[in-house]
Amino acid sequence: MSEVGNPPLLQVRDLKKYFPVRGGLLHRVTAQVRAVDGVDFEIGHGRTLGLVGESGCGKSTLGRAILRLHEPTSGQVLLEGVDFTALDRKALVAERRRVQIIFQDPFASLSPRRTVAQIIREPLDVHRIGTPDERAHRVLELLDVVGMGPEVRDRYPHEFSGGQRQRIGIARALALSPKFIVADEPVSALDVSVQSQVLNLIAKLKREHGIAFLFISHDLAVIQHVSDEIGVMYLGRIVERAAVDDLYREPKHPYTRALLSAIPVPDPNRKSQPVVLFGDVPSPMNPPSGCPFHTRCPEAMAICSERRPPVIDVGSDGHTHDVACHLFSPAP
Amino acid sequence: MPTDQSPVLSVRNLVVEFSTENGIVRAVDDVSFDVYPNETVGLVGESGCGKTVTGLSLLGLIPSPPGRIVSGQILLDGTDLATLTEPKMREIRGSEISMIFQEPMTALNPVFTIGNQMIDVLMCHRRLTRRQSRAAAIEMLSKVGIPVPDQRVDEYPHQLSGGMRQRVMIAMALSCDPKLLVADEPTTALDVTTQAQVLEQINKLQDEFHMAVILITHDLGVVAETCRRGIVMYCGRVIENASIEGLFERPLHPYTVGLLESIPRIRTERLVELPIIPGRVPNLLHLPDGCRFAGRCFKVSDHCRRVSPVLQSYEGSTDYVACHTPCRAREAANV
Amino acid sequence: MNAVSGAVRARASVRRESLWSKAFYKFRRDRAGMLSFGVVLLYMIAALGVWLGWWATGWSAVEGGKWQGMSATHWFGTNMIGQDIFDRALYSTKTAFEVGLVVAVLSTAVGALLGAIAGFFSGGWLDEIVIWIMGVLDSIPFYLFVAAIAFAMQDNPYAMHVAMISTFWTGVARLIRGEVIKLRGLEYVEAAHAIGVPEYTIIFRHILPNTAHILLVQATITFVAAIKSEVILSFLGLGVKDGMSWGLMIAESSQEVLAGFFNNFLAASIFMFGLVMAFNMFSDALQDSLDPRKVS
Repeated sequence: MSEVGNPPLLQVRDLKKYFPVRGGLLHRVTAQVRAVDGVDFEIGHGRTLGLVGESGCGKSTLGRAILRLHEPTSGQVLLEGVDFTALDRKALVAERRRVQIIFQDPFASLSPRRTVAQIIREPLDVHRIGTPDERAHRVLELLDVVGMGPEVRDRYPHEFSGGQRQRIGIARALALSPKFIVADEPVSALDVSVQSQVLNLIAKLKREHGIAFLFISHDLAVIQHVSDEIGVMYLGRIVERAAVDDLYREPKHPYTRALLSAIPVPDPNRKSQPVVLFGDVPSPMNPPSGCPFHTRCPEAMAICSERRPPVIDVGSDGHTHDVACHLFSPAP
Repeated sequence: MPTDQSPVLSVRNLVVEFSTENGIVRAVDDVSFDVYPNETVGLVGESGCGKTVTGLSLLGLIPSPPGRIVSGQILLDGTDLATLTEPKMREIRGSEISMIFQEPMTALNPVFTIGNQMIDVLMCHRRLTRRQSRAAAIEMLSKVGIPVPDQRVDEYPHQLSGGMRQRVMIAMALSCDPKLLVADEPTTALDVTTQAQVLEQINKLQDEFHMAVILITHDLGVVAETCRRGIVMYCGRVIENASIEGLFERPLHPYTVGLLESIPRIRTERLVELPIIPGRVPNLLHLPDGCRFAGRCFKVSDHCRRVSPVLQSYEGSTDYVACHTPCRAREAANV
Repeated sequence: MNAVSGAVRARASVRRESLWSKAFYKFRRDRAGMLSFGVVLLYMIAALGVWLGWWATGWSAVEGGKWQGMSATHWFGTNMIGQDIFDRALYSTKTAFEVGLVVAVLSTAVGALLGAIAGFFSGGWLDEIVIWIMGVLDSIPFYLFVAAIAFAMQDNPYAMHVAMISTFWTGVARLIRGEVIKLRGLEYVEAAHAIGVPEYTIIFRHILPNTAHILLVQATITFVAAIKSEVILSFLGLGVKDGMSWGLMIAESSQEVLAGFFNNFLAASIFMFGLVMAFNMFSDALQDSLDPRKVS
């Protein structure tokens, strides 16, 4: 996954993000929402990690915490060996050139009173890259990369469709030539026939520009196309992580299996046999003891409510396949 | 499809227009279809195709102004809903025909308990006393799979999860035993595991209540799992109306073919590039002459650009398509 | 594919409108709005003409006899001293606009600035301070406050303006603060953070422009409030010191009314009512046409 000797592009170590809940007369902190509760992973140069999970699992918060749009509560984010989380304000601005983000909502992600050219140019202006002429030229270049013509430069976001706005957002993210992009549900808000267009674009960026992605989605079908590796999140933790083909062929964690089985298949002859989970997702303010999934797990055992399962590599043939589940932990 | 029964719902040549500041938009343009008792029909299409407007017009919920039903008939067991006055329509809504919506958070009133909201419906339509209504509400809640319904009935919407709220909506919609349930994207806002639960519930209840269901969605997977018939809409028109097997195995309209291919799905072999439908949905204010899909169609001919195709039976079967150059069986690339 | 891209491009060139031009077209179709705008324009021209010296220059000249009725030379008659009432009312238009514009522009500016800062850093100490200041100012009775400022500023002619600006900005600030709190959670603000845009640049480049429609409407409301307040202040003797205003006219007419002469009072009231009414309607129509949910 990472070249021997060189640090991988991104290393996330025990990242946590808790949000305080204030209550009472004096606004004291009464509880913590454990949105991200200890996450570890690595992404190599040009590789894509697909992060999948349902609402409330913390995947969006994780994406933003990596970029320090939410300041992490604890843990480390290393970008090419540099500790991104320890940078002071000035150094952080300079380092922001290396990581960018694409958002889910095409309607809220572009400033309504700025033109397309202004939106795409802004990163170049902030970091003072090139002369004004060069910047204008770069804007046209970027529009071309995302498949839009120069005539859109002076138009406003509201004049475009969702798919086009996403392309503009992608052009903006590419402006600083980042090595790593966090894509937070970039196609979820688009029409189904447009989703493939944007996914193809992202795959092209991977291939031709060697950009690494953290691709966040709730949709396992979407994520398969662009990812090299997939991480499954539940209540702030990664419960399974494997190469993409391995995950779909042989999912190990009971939650992953339930998730995969629940996806409706557009084929009337193959009705899905959903593993029906009991109850609802617990609140991240009050995660269950031990394994967070044990309250809904069809295979829960006694130990699952007592101890948090360690992450075990059950992969074979040199492929890593991490699972956090007591079904796989070695006998004590 | 049972052919000896008469349809519970018959939509004939429905036209719905909206006046916008840029002109008049025909959201629904000459739409006709039938729904039979105890049948689930999927109304499929992307945003702007008119499926939600069709659903709303069945219940007389088109905001007017700016919208209005221009012409056509909506026959529910013989009664034309399009001609009914508002008071008469109010009697029918909830008791003969019901609707559930996409956003459970905003569909339930946050300042009343769910019990209160259900009791309102029951007392209005079934003329029960408050105590009888409460008992009926609790029974309904347990039927939709809500645990400890006698406690939940006194809770407020914000105390329930999204999946639960959706079930409450279903309970409310079914509490008066309607003949037809219109479900507008009922699971789109839910997680996929919750979606599976809710769809299972709808299926079960449909059997139990002998209801017809119109399921409005953009998700072909959901259609394949729950519907017996699929109606595909594009730019306000029905372009294909076929049995589920027909729709998925022998799609007739090039748009349906393109949709089935381009929708992201889990594949056993990964592709370098996903197939796409080129171009974009045309602006409803500037519709082209001829077929509305012509600009994006891989089977387009000159005739298609000039003459708009009419919905017709395909080779005498019970599958209908509006296309001059429909796809023959097996022509669609296998995925 | 050429036919497709051609169609895409052709359709693209049809809609080239910014949000402001759309609002403009919408406003044009609102008849009540256009009418009221016309009336406001008339008043504005009147004030401009006074300012440029085109008319009403002889507002303080004693030309006629005491309490003359309406005639061709004196359209509204004369007041107790013999000055032309119409000229005085016309001159007061300039005063009204002066007060209205200065107070509206400055209080909107101050309110926007402080409100945006408070909203953007909401939850922090800056926000707390601004809210506290707003609370203090709002709890002081307005006319007492003006009297205090007038006293403190030793009869400076701008005491009234200062007093009004110091109290009117809080309304704007509250509105803007609420809107900014909503806007700063939107993804385009997050995007600006991700790019590394400095925070104050985010406020002025991305957030405030998206409150412009609110600010414009608030400015018109403040304009009217300023004019009405000026009338009362001048009536109380705390307002305009040199020059003439409707408030002063009403003040001096209070004795005349007792004697049965209403022209002075009526002239001032009619002029004022006309402007306030027209401006209010204009403000409503403006708000409707700028409503971001209806535009686009």
